[in-house]
Amino acid sequence: MVRRVDVVVIGAGPGGYVSAIRLGQLGKKTVLVEKQKLGGVCLNHGCIPSKALISAGRLARKIKDGGEIGLETTGLKIDFTKTQAWKSRVVNRLISGIKLLCERNGVDVVYGEANVEAGKMVKVKNSGATEELQADSIVVATGSRPIELRSFPFDGKLILDSTSVLDLSEVPGRLLVIGGGITGLEIGGMYQDLGAQLTVVELMDQVLPGFDPEVADVVYKSFLKRGAKIYLKADALGFETSTSGVKARLRSADVEVAEEFDKVLVAVGRKPNTSGLGLENIGVELDQRGFIKVDEQMRTTANGIYAIGDVAGPPFLAHKASREGIVAAEVICDLPSAMDNRAMPSAVFTDPEVATVGLTEEEAKRTLGGCVAERFPFQASGRALTQRESNGFVKMVADAQRKRILGVHIVGPDASDLISEAALAIEMGASAEDLALTVHPHPTLPEALMEAAEAIIGAPIHTLKRE
Amino acid sequence: MVLEFKLPDVGEGVAEGEIRRWFVKIGDQVSENQPLVEVMTDKVTVEIPSPKSGTVLDILAKEGQVVKVGTTIIIIGEKGEHTTLRSQPEPKSIEASSITPPVSAPARAASVLATPATRRLARELGIDIAQVRGTGDDGRVTEEDVRRHSSATTAATTPTASPVKGVEERVPLRGVRRRMAESMAMSLRTTAQFTLIDEVDVSKLVATRETLKPLAEKNGVKITYLPFVIKAVVKALKEYPYLNASLDDAKQEIVLKKDYNIGVAVDTGEGLVVPVIRDADKKSLFDLARNVEDLAQKARSSRLELDDIKGGTFSITSLGALGGLLATPIIHYPEVAILGVHRIDKKPVVRDGQIVVRDIAHISLSFDHRIIDGATAGRFTSRIKEMLEEPNQLIPELV
Repeated sequence: MVRRVDVVVIGAGPGGYVSAIRLGQLGKKTVLVEKQKLGGVCLNHGCIPSKALISAGRLARKIKDGGEIGLETTGLKIDFTKTQAWKSRVVNRLISGIKLLCERNGVDVVYGEANVEAGKMVKVKNSGATEELQADSIVVATGSRPIELRSFPFDGKLILDSTSVLDLSEVPGRLLVIGGGITGLEIGGMYQDLGAQLTVVELMDQVLPGFDPEVADVVYKSFLKRGAKIYLKADALGFETSTSGVKARLRSADVEVAEEFDKVLVAVGRKPNTSGLGLENIGVELDQRGFIKVDEQMRTTANGIYAIGDVAGPPFLAHKASREGIVAAEVICDLPSAMDNRAMPSAVFTDPEVATVGLTEEEAKRTLGGCVAERFPFQASGRALTQRESNGFVKMVADAQRKRILGVHIVGPDASDLISEAALAIEMGASAEDLALTVHPHPTLPEALMEAAEAIIGAPIHTLKRE
Repeated sequence: MVLEFKLPDVGEGVAEGEIRRWFVKIGDQVSENQPLVEVMTDKVTVEIPSPKSGTVLDILAKEGQVVKVGTTIIIIGEKGEHTTLRSQPEPKSIEASSITPPVSAPARAASVLATPATRRLARELGIDIAQVRGTGDDGRVTEEDVRRHSSATTAATTPTASPVKGVEERVPLRGVRRRMAESMAMSLRTTAQFTLIDEVDVSKLVATRETLKPLAEKNGVKITYLPFVIKAVVKALKEYPYLNASLDDAKQEIVLKKDYNIGVAVDTGEGLVVPVIRDADKKSLFDLARNVEDLAQKARSSRLELDDIKGGTFSITSLGALGGLLATPIIHYPEVAILGVHRIDKKPVVRDGQIVVRDIAHISLSFDHRIIDGATAGRFTSRIKEMLEEPNQLIPELV
């Protein structure tokens, strides 16, 4: 029997479930189809579990490093099974939260694999049974998955992707991370904090490619200082299994070395989940890179079909997916919504953390022909020093004439929390003066943003004016 | 080498252009001087050629988008080359390393200084916020600006609200038609227009034209009535310099033009354009005929260049056979007057107490009453009428 509904949302990640809830709120009869678990990669294999483990790792290192301030500990024992169990409790709690929100907003969740047919018919298969949903609109929110390297095929045991690496039952002794981007450094750093010997191989000439090089350099040096080995402009060529794990062949600066590792994490990027959905049969066009083509109202090339989140193109960010999910839902309900954000913030949970929003100094120079950029080092922040986290800085980029804020790049303590003020400033079209004239409580880390803004307008208090 | 190609300054004083049509797409191989894109600026459409050979790596401006001069519109390089200024990164770079682009390029609305709530309000009211004039600091568009713009446009476009939502088709206002909309509205907003209408006995003109036809053909031109009208206008303008003028509002000065550049309205099928006959006072009748024909051709095939449409000092719109007895032409701002010429009909008129059949046409002239008073307008109109009735004075230098 065919069930008639208003909207079918395919994929219950941070794009899909948010879209479905908004649709429910707006009175649409909505079915949310998920083939695995509510919350998608973000909640089950990404943002949330990794942050839980990262918190555990940071705490472990802080405890070990307490000597300087008189907090001596000996024999810190890490029971990683317990850590993992705690992580799962956090995840499950959030999943039940989403479940409740869906219920209360009238969203019906159906589990299974969706296939879209002409006439906006969605067939959901689940262990032999098929449910047929006839919809007026469809939101495709199927996300992305890790890219596999031919030379390092995932096996879930030795060669891991970003999902399986979070479900290890013990901390690997020696961990190789291929790809020094966000995922590689976050997870590599976490296992390093929990005791692993970390090696990172990155193809580009800096870690966190695409980020401000000065920012990336602070992260790079912190990793080295804690004992990680990082090969830049380097490549992992292949491996063979050995008695204790794998022997990987690495090439750096034309020198080939073979090193032993217990586990390998391949984190070289993600690709969209577009196949197997039947999109090709209903006129949904993909761009050259395989992402679904959408306009700023998340419409695909097929009438009544929308796409949001990773599957609609980078950046691969949960909050971008959520925002797009809301836009799609509102557009379906004839509300004048659009993705017109001036800036999309992003955060990296390394130690120190990195967070960035808007244009980098280089981008501003290139696109606008000039800009002003100033830094405030956390070394000069009272709060950072009292937290023993004074590594890093806030860098603010503003336009040369009116000093309007174009970008903020933070490397340092709680950067992920600090960035939202900068995002608001850019979204509101605030100038450095606006930020400098806003009173910030003392002693706190956000003072660093105010100080950087003061430097932009030539009136810094806690740093010396550049001659 | 990756080249970020910016929209060039295609003519004096052109600050922005509308992307009409891309001739290339991402991945295409282009050679130097191959046309890349058709851009429309202030009534002119130009094809912009590629400055170099290479592969199109990215296209940053959509068709229909209005782009400021100096904005990067296309990226040309070699296959596999990278540039960070792209709408979205290629997958290759993701595969090659672990780039996750941390920063989103500010989108269209980002160029408008307005808060998110104001941007949403604009969308709710169905307004393109880029079209709203910001009154705030640094051109910031405020909530009030959006509301003001909204009530202004609603008042202008929908005098009576239709109570029933009928079937409708929505056609984006683009290109020539958009320019027409802007300049016509601008004219009526700015000037104080009034129209004078007169009846002209063009029997002699009809005969003169008939006589000249064979000679014109010999000279390779098709002679219409328009060159005679241009001649008459130029002569009259020389006698009434205030008609060949514009008003400099800022300086509160009337600018009397010493050039006689006559705009000729041409219907392109997509809207109106007004190419300009330059130095009409120095041209012979046949030269004018040639010039008119040439510009009309260019206008209809969208090949007008900026030089063809700027610098007009007075315009003529000849509705002629297109219909209508009379019209109230709208001045081609910032000019101060326009002449409309209508169709010629055989009509009974009284001459020396007798009813006779003559060739009669109507002319309608609109004037900017800020500068031209009724008496001057009347005299100018009579002068034109006089010359069209006695066309011999118009043809001293024929060829």
